[in-house]
Amino acid sequence: MKEFKYTITDPIGIHARPAGVLAKLAKSFEGATVFLTKGETTVKASQLMKLMNLGVKAGDEVTIRVEGGDEEAAAAALETFFKENL
Amino acid sequence: MALDYRKCAEEIAANIGGGANVISAAHCATRLRLVIADNSKVNKKALENVDGVKGMFESNGQLQLIIGTGTVNKVFDEFISVTGVQAGTKDDVKAAAAAKQPIWKQMLKTIGDVFVPILPAIVASGLMMGLVEALAKIPGLGFGGSDWFAFLDTVANTAFAYLPVIVAVSAARVFGGNIFLGAVIGLLMIHSAFLNGWNVANTEAINSFFGVTDGIIPKWHLIGNLVTIQRSGYQGHVIPVIIAVFIMCKLEKWLHKHVPEMIDLFVTPLTTVLVTAFATLWIVGPIFSMLETWVLAGAKILVRNPLGACAMGALYPATVVMGLHHMYNVIEAGMLAESGLNTWMPIASAANFAQFGACLAVGLKVRNQKTKSVAIPSSLSAALGITEPAIFGVNMRFFKPFVAGMIGGAVGSLVAAILGFGATAYGVTGIPGYLTVSNPLQYTIVLAIAGGIAFALTWFFWKEETEEGAEPVKAAPAPEVKAEPEIVVPEKTVISCSAGEIKAPVKGKVVSYTEIPDETFAQGILGEGVGIWPEEEVVRAPYDGTISSVAESKHAVGITGPEDMEVLIHVGVDTVNMNGDGFEVLVKDGDEVKLGQPLIKFDRQKIKAAGHPDIVVTLLTNSDDYEDVTINTDN
Repeated sequence: MKEFKYTITDPIGIHARPAGVLAKLAKSFEGATVFLTKGETTVKASQLMKLMNLGVKAGDEVTIRVEGGDEEAAAAALETFFKENL
Repeated sequence: MALDYRKCAEEIAANIGGGANVISAAHCATRLRLVIADNSKVNKKALENVDGVKGMFESNGQLQLIIGTGTVNKVFDEFISVTGVQAGTKDDVKAAAAAKQPIWKQMLKTIGDVFVPILPAIVASGLMMGLVEALAKIPGLGFGGSDWFAFLDTVANTAFAYLPVIVAVSAARVFGGNIFLGAVIGLLMIHSAFLNGWNVANTEAINSFFGVTDGIIPKWHLIGNLVTIQRSGYQGHVIPVIIAVFIMCKLEKWLHKHVPEMIDLFVTPLTTVLVTAFATLWIVGPIFSMLETWVLAGAKILVRNPLGACAMGALYPATVVMGLHHMYNVIEAGMLAESGLNTWMPIASAANFAQFGACLAVGLKVRNQKTKSVAIPSSLSAALGITEPAIFGVNMRFFKPFVAGMIGGAVGSLVAAILGFGATAYGVTGIPGYLTVSNPLQYTIVLAIAGGIAFALTWFFWKEETEEGAEPVKAAPAPEVKAEPEIVVPEKTVISCSAGEIKAPVKGKVVSYTEIPDETFAQGILGEGVGIWPEEEVVRAPYDGTISSVAESKHAVGITGPEDMEVLIHVGVDTVNMNGDGFEVLVKDGDEVKLGQPLIKFDRQKIKAAGHPDIVVTLLTNSDDYEDVTINTDN
């Protein structure tokens, strides 16, 4: 298990398009499941609808957790994605 | 800023080469649909700039101008008056759509279309008539002889006595003819120069009406004995009236097309009425009077044994449909004179009460509020013995309830014939029938059997269909929601896959997701699907499902449907920046929604003003999970 925290800076937050890209990315790691936690709610990052439903906005802190597969590489890729896009 | 409809219509006409270049014109809820003779005369650029025209495109040989709900009809009316083009009716479009159905279904649908608008009149009258006549039969009350009875009975039976007029007006509307000419045909069929249709088998009435002694209805000999018209009216008839008006409307439309405009106003109506009157009274009339004679003779034979009674119980509602049931009182009167016992009445009662049972089952089962509000009072009226509202307004329209009623009526009649009881008078059936029956207990058994069987059969075998044609219908009230959402079932399937079909959430031009003016959507990162350039401002559920996500900025909604399909409907591109301004969300997370239920209302002007494309992005977000995902676009 590998996890990191990130505070959203994009004013729109994780909405449809970023959520779509994130879900796609989350699905791409073989053998790994990516979870995203905001407050007390945790969803699979690969589930677009659930992800959107969190309503993550600028200033929210989210926790991203990777379980299984190449956790190191996946977490690194995700971290890069968040920094570049969110 | 109200639109100048006249000016809009004139500018449209000017830019399509005038009225002479228009083959036909019609409109739907939002668009003016024109069929153009010579497309080279159409100035598309100028058309798009006409104030009031929000967009235009060509489809299926039609030039469609998007004008908008509530406006398009007014522009259309002006357009018709500006250009002198004959208005095409929506019926033409409907007829084209309906033409695929088998003929008997089309006929049933037509009868239903004619009857539904007149139901308020006949439901009210049916209930009143049932009550008034029941009161009149109560022994010792003396109500039957009172002035109040005479007054109330007159009010109550008006709609039935003059039913042909009401039917004719409604039929003229359905068939697209002039409704006033329709009224003339209806009035003609019950003209006071003719013997009342209720009395055609009543020798006494014939003799006194015509001043004859042989009980034969006199004829007008137009061409010797070759062409004659029997002088009897069509009171209580339905089918001959619909046929007559159908002929009338066809004729009228044909004449309008072929008669030179200068003389159209007097030639067309004159010819229409005269020819229709002649055809109706000479051809249609005699066919029905022949049928009446046969039915009467057949009925007399049938009721002599239980099996025949059973058949009669089944056929009875069919004779009501044909308007042939009015002579049955002749049989009843004959029975009373002969043996003092009217054994016909239990058969009629069983048949009627079965229609009540079927109609009640529809009323209790149906979710469509409009149908429910028709079916419940219609069933009450049928319980009182007046079955027209139930038969025409409900059971026949859905057909299965009608058949269920026939079966119930058949079994009830069989039981009644075996039990052998009867009535001591005639004229009432159903619940008021208790006042005249010789054995109330046996009567109860018969009614329970007939009504019960029809109710049960309808309940188990009839399923509510969503009506085609997307007329707005009310859905069953959703829990907690204050207003009932108006469901309009979309016709177009935009995405289909192994898991099912996804309908278009809005009306408009459908393009592939790859053509959506946004990279993320176009690349299919959020899944495959379509974009729809909207012609309306309501997003509707693309299937039955559960709301899985509503965007805080109100511009997008996710719905989980059959087989876990997840559809994202995203109104406009980059509209998240509008922070909900111009959007109204009608559902919330976790809501169960029905296909066609409104989800989001949006304001296209505001989206455009904010500088965003208003395309409604509709994506199957988990399209990777399904095989053979195909999208249907308008290209």
